[in-house]
Amino acid sequence: MDQALQLLFTGIGIGSVYALVALGFVLIFRATNVVNFAQGEFSMVAAFLMVVFAVDLALPYWLSFILALGGMALLGAIFNLGVYYPLRHRTFLPVIIATIGASILMANGMLAIYGPAPQVLEGWFETPGIQLGPVYLDSQYLLIIAVTLALVVFNYWFFEHTMIGKKLQATSQDKEMASLLGISVSAMIMITFIYSAVLGGLAGILVAPILFVSIQMGATIALKAFAATIIGGFGDVTGAIIGGVALGIIETFGAAYVSVPYKDAFAFMVLILFLVFRPQGIFGERVAEKA
Amino acid sequence: MALLQINDLHVRYGEIVALQGVSFDVAEGQVVTLLGANGAGKSTTLRAISGLAKPTQGDILYDGKSIAGLGPEAIVRMGISHVPEGRRVFPGLTVKENIMLGGSNRRAAKAELSREADAMFDLFPDIRKFANSLGWTLSGGQLQMVAVARGLMAKPRLLLLDEPSLGLAPVIVQAVFRIISEIRRTTTVLLVEQNARMGLSVADHGYVLETGKIVLGGKPDELWGNEAIRAAYLGGHGKVPKEAAAMPHL
Repeated sequence: MDQALQLLFTGIGIGSVYALVALGFVLIFRATNVVNFAQGEFSMVAAFLMVVFAVDLALPYWLSFILALGGMALLGAIFNLGVYYPLRHRTFLPVIIATIGASILMANGMLAIYGPAPQVLEGWFETPGIQLGPVYLDSQYLLIIAVTLALVVFNYWFFEHTMIGKKLQATSQDKEMASLLGISVSAMIMITFIYSAVLGGLAGILVAPILFVSIQMGATIALKAFAATIIGGFGDVTGAIIGGVALGIIETFGAAYVSVPYKDAFAFMVLILFLVFRPQGIFGERVAEKA
Repeated sequence: MALLQINDLHVRYGEIVALQGVSFDVAEGQVVTLLGANGAGKSTTLRAISGLAKPTQGDILYDGKSIAGLGPEAIVRMGISHVPEGRRVFPGLTVKENIMLGGSNRRAAKAELSREADAMFDLFPDIRKFANSLGWTLSGGQLQMVAVARGLMAKPRLLLLDEPSLGLAPVIVQAVFRIISEIRRTTTVLLVEQNARMGLSVADHGYVLETGKIVLGGKPDELWGNEAIRAAYLGGHGKVPKEAAAMPHL
């Protein structure tokens, strides 16, 4: 029982990282109808930016954090202008191929600069964690969970209670109609890319002290986050968050009780089961299909 | 000077020529109705005015200024609001949110838009009780009301209405046209209709489009009096309309 509680905590922590990246997937998908295969690379680049600022330049952690997120906002804007915007009137296939190309460019760009050896990034806190009854709460996992919770609340407020959130939703539902109302569709898509890049970057920065900073980390996180979006029902914001956390828990329990080497396999087993038996996901078959 | 002047407008979609030299005027304060069969170019004319379709030739003057080739976001900010065919109410947003977004063409705070949307329900009392329902839950007639209310939130000088009666029961069509006769007191309206009887009943002027050209224009009673037009478009004398006769029997 004690071990189960411990695993649950770890699972929610790692699942929160998947949830943040999955949220980025869903937001871009809803705004552009395209899966951004470079979403995981946003996490990788942000983790390397943290290494640049906090390790190489030895800046304070909080300042490095802000600079890295600022860098991600800039990368999101550049990504939109360089990858999506020139292809926005084309079908989804050229856009998807462009996002795959951009992801290869980012991964190999980092390889050229830093080489293949993984980099180490310290966690935010000096204290490694606290013991709460039978469960040891690692401080980095606590931070991840707290940031994810805060973002879920922010996301809800932003999309449901601000006009810009409503305009973003309107744009994702019917771009032509949104433009007829005077909503700047290109500005809405720009905001979406910047926000998604920052979300992905946040996930990368938070998970870096746990996983090591490597050029492969983007691909691993992206695959898990992609599985999370399928579980949640593609295009559903709540589904992405619940799918991410669920996947983290399944993976952690699978590794502990079944087999550690097959840890990554559990995520894909769940993904395959969902694709076969419930391809619309837990929250699928809602608004979009009925409209 | 007319509020809207269309001069020799040409629009093509790839190889297909949709409009080939359409010219007409809409005077301020009038309701002008465009009639014609499916595919005659009625919707394309509205899409060109609101900036959704780019003219390949000709000009569109609004208040004396050329707006041909401008994007839809710029055009609605100038005061032309387009309620397109099919209502296009955002399915995942509530009725009130849909209506509030109609004011996106001008700088207005959320609270102000909310007040204006509430006031809009006085003109559309039938949809007041659906204020917090999601768009996809509404019926066709209710969606049409929402779409028109949303279009009016732009505070337009010129309202473009595309087939507001399409697919609606007769009693709902009458309700929609009652609202159009309310709107015309304050706003110039360019109306596209297949229902010629209703379309002409509120109009000051009518035009008939055929394969991308204006073939006839005049006062509603002049159009109504034209035998050929009545037979072809206005559903009189039980003659088979041209476009139906041209259709292969399946």
